[in-house]
Amino acid sequence: MKFSLAVYAAPHSSQSAASALRFARTLLEQGHQLYRVFFYCDGVHNGSAIAAPPQDEANLVGQWQALQKQYSLDLVICIAAAQRRGVLNRREAERLERPAANLAEGFELAGLGQLADAVANSDRLVTFGN
Amino acid sequence: MAIKTLAICRRAPYGSALAREGLEAVLAGAAMEQAIDVLFMRDGVFQLMEAQAPDNIEQKNLWRNLQALPMFGVETLYVCESSLTERGIKLDRSRPAGSEIKLIADTGTFIAAYDHVLSF
Amino acid sequence: MTLHIVNKSPYSSRALADCFASFADGDALLLIEDGVYALTGFIADNIAVAPVYCLEADVRARGLQMPKGIQSLDDTGWVKLCTEHNPIVSWFQ
Repeated sequence: MKFSLAVYAAPHSSQSAASALRFARTLLEQGHQLYRVFFYCDGVHNGSAIAAPPQDEANLVGQWQALQKQYSLDLVICIAAAQRRGVLNRREAERLERPAANLAEGFELAGLGQLADAVANSDRLVTFGN
Repeated sequence: MAIKTLAICRRAPYGSALAREGLEAVLAGAAMEQAIDVLFMRDGVFQLMEAQAPDNIEQKNLWRNLQALPMFGVETLYVCESSLTERGIKLDRSRPAGSEIKLIADTGTFIAAYDHVLSF
Repeated sequence: MTLHIVNKSPYSSRALADCFASFADGDALLLIEDGVYALTGFIADNIAVAPVYCLEADVRARGLQMPKGIQSLDDTGWVKLCTEHNPIVSWFQ
């Protein structure tokens, strides 16, 4: 079955982002397809490469990246929500004249249309909010 | 058959960004000609207060997003009836131009008719 | 029919109450994260809907008793439940 996830929760603030990761990993292990994970609202922080949690805590960004690599996942961060909250790729940082880019490898910035597209192309949509 | 999506908006405007970001997602879906409906529930019904004027709290007026809905084909706004009653508000005249409001008494049956639900 | 997922404690959030108000015949409820606190105290005896599921990992993480009459799921069961229901509504506030 084809799933998409909408993640609105920042990592390390609530359990919700970690739940999304667990759910994603399990559905992939079960042989289901993950069409897209769309990070929206505070969920855009899941794609920040400069998050540095202590070594004895789960590194959610790193775990998303590992999962993305293993299954060639489409991890999409809403560009409008990300600009407001300070998650930029190099191109956006240059365009907006900001001093640094911090989008983690494996994630992509794209518009809200990608959420609509995920809805249209998935059998199931599960939202992880906070 | 076209996939039917419902956005449930349960947040009041201004106190939380979710009200605005929810409507933006709905507009994006409607702009892509997705069959998307909106159900305002609980504090989400406060989004429909016509007199909102957030200039002095440095926020953009959410009413403008609401007015864009009918322009993108979202003409019927569904509103949970008991949420209005509970808050003592009536929406007699208050509605974005070009839209109509339909009150929903049985939200459970209403929700179950959709393929996907986005919660905001 | 709809799967309702609640992740907030009923003692601090309207999420569970709102879910009950939108629960139709044939729907199912899944308690995750702080939503599993609904399995304690007064609320536990007053869950008016069925069937109710909870995530075992979240129950155990919080030191709660596994409840009687409520099905606990591992993560595989969670995914399976989602394949059996549509739409899926998350109540998180």
